[in-house]
Amino acid sequence: MVGLVVASHGRLADELVATARQIVGDLPRVATLSVEPHSSPDEIRAQLKSAVKSVDDGEGVLVFADLIGGSPCTQSLSLCQQVRIEVLTGVNLPMLLKANSLRGQVSLVDLAHQLAQYGQKHITCASDALRARAPAA
Amino acid sequence: MIVLSRIDNRLIHGQVIEAWLPHLRVRRLVVADDATAHDLMAQAAMGLAVPESVEVVHVAIDALDARALSADAVPTLILFRDVSGAVRARQHGLPDGRLTVGNVHAGPGRHAVSRSVFLTADEAAQLDALGASGMDVVIQAVPSEAPLKVPRAA
Repeated sequence: MVGLVVASHGRLADELVATARQIVGDLPRVATLSVEPHSSPDEIRAQLKSAVKSVDDGEGVLVFADLIGGSPCTQSLSLCQQVRIEVLTGVNLPMLLKANSLRGQVSLVDLAHQLAQYGQKHITCASDALRARAPAA
Repeated sequence: MIVLSRIDNRLIHGQVIEAWLPHLRVRRLVVADDATAHDLMAQAAMGLAVPESVEVVHVAIDALDARALSADAVPTLILFRDVSGAVRARQHGLPDGRLTVGNVHAGPGRHAVSRSVFLTADEAAQLDALGASGMDVVIQAVPSEAPLKVPRAA
C-alpha cells in the first residue's frame, strides 16, 4: 500500500489528518510533519526522510505538501532522487480522503496524477453551482 | 537596484515568495549561495513557485557582482543562507543598505533573538560589525512583522 506523508507549515498537517480520521475512521500508513519557525532545512529533510521511511512498505510514498515552493515542498523534492516518492502541493481534505480510498488500486505515479486533478476539481464556488441549479426565485 | 539583502537559511521559500516579492515589487531574485550555485535540482525546486515576472539568478558568493546589481533599476532582492555569507558578500562589495535577518535556525550555542532567528555569539558580533560598517541590519521574518534591532553582542 502506498504510504502517505502530509507536510505543512505549523500544525495544518496534524489537524488535516485528524480531521480526515474523524470522517473516515482509520487512516493507516500516514505520517505528518510540521515545519516550525526554528526548523533548519537539514532538520526538515531528516524528519521527512524518517516520516517517509515510517510509512513505506515498498510501494512508495505520496508526500502532500501545503504550498508549492515552500520548505515542506522543496525539501521533499530534494529527496526525490533518494527515495521513491511523488510530491503533491496544495494539499486539501478531499484529496487526502481520496488518496486513502484509491491507494491499493493504482500505482504511486498514477495516484499522484489523479489526486492532483481531483484536488483541483474539488475547489469550487459552490454557491454559484447552487444558483445554476436552483429555480429562479 | 538592490532593494533588500536577506539572511534566510531556507533561501527561496514561502515567506520570500508570498510576502517579500510582492511587498517590494521585486523583479530580480539573487540567491548568493555556494551550496546551491551549481546544484540544478535544488535550483529547480526553489524556483517552482517564483512568478514568471521575477528573474532568478543563482551565484556563488564570490561571484556576486553587487555593483552590476546596483547599476540598473530592476528591484533586486539578494538572499544569503547564513550570516557568514552576508559578511563575505560585504567584503566583496555589497553596498550599504538594509540587511534583514529572516530565518537562522536553532541549534547548540545559539540564542533566540526572535521566533525564527537564533544566533551564535560570533554571528551577533558579525551583525554588529556589519551595522557599524554602515548597513542597516534588522531582524524581520516577514514585512508585516515589526523590524527588531539586533541585540548588542555580549
